[in-house]
Amino acid sequence: MKYKIIIAILAVIFAAGVIGSVLVLSAPKKNLVRIKCGEEVLYTLDLNREADRTFAVQTDSGTNLVEIKDGKIRVQSADCPDKTCVRMGWLHSAAMPIVCLPHRLVIEFVDSDGGVDAIAE
Amino acid sequence: MSVKRLARLSLLTAVALIIFIVELQVPNPFPVPGVKLGLANIITVYAVYRYRAPEVAMMVGVRIVLGSVFSGNWMALLYSACGSFLCLLGMLLLRRLIDERHLWIGSVCGALLHNTGQMAAALLVTQTPSLLLYFPFLIVSGCLAGLFTGLCAQLLLPRLKRFDRE
Repeated sequence: MKYKIIIAILAVIFAAGVIGSVLVLSAPKKNLVRIKCGEEVLYTLDLNREADRTFAVQTDSGTNLVEIKDGKIRVQSADCPDKTCVRMGWLHSAAMPIVCLPHRLVIEFVDSDGGVDAIAE
Repeated sequence: MSVKRLARLSLLTAVALIIFIVELQVPNPFPVPGVKLGLANIITVYAVYRYRAPEVAMMVGVRIVLGSVFSGNWMALLYSACGSFLCLLGMLLLRRLIDERHLWIGSVCGALLHNTGQMAAALLVTQTPSLLLYFPFLIVSGCLAGLFTGLCAQLLLPRLKRFDRE
């Protein structure tokens, strides 16, 4: 009996996870992108206005080479040990930032009103 | 602790470490930080049901530290240490509630707790609340990975009876 209860609880958690994943994946993309290292905002970019280019983002722990192409952004290469940020590919969902945990680097879509402040700074 | 017991624990740690390193060589098809099969935890789950709590904690601690020495990923040490701590705590408590024949349930709970701990550590380190959006993926992958490692440990348990007795 107690196993049935535990399994039921786990099944609910699993279902919530599946639903959450679908919701996250279906969140729309935006144009404004922010590149952060920990708390510190390094760049705020409007992908509609950015020319295609590749630039290096320096953090205390290493370097990530970020590529902008056709209004898309990704980490092209990095000297972090796990390379998860590279394999995540292009940033495609507002709900799923590209992160490089070893470098504490985050590339995410932001709302335009939140981004204006960052540009003004 | 007897020398025999110590030797057995070291042997298990070494096996877990080898599994860990072999798994590192296999490219991970899921590009989400923290999503991993975690095959080395087969040994952890097995040990939770066969050894005392401090012994299991020692085993896992040594494996995590040596694992990050061999993989060269020091940041991962922090995340996996937080995850493993929560996972071990939960599994050692659940050990009283869940018997050996339902070990896979404990393993799923452990995996979920592990991913929760990792998430908490990542949130603290990066200070980025949007990381929470990965959590659903971690839950799904945790359930599946925990189920797999749990079933493996379940198969392992009766086969290691002789190893336990000697």
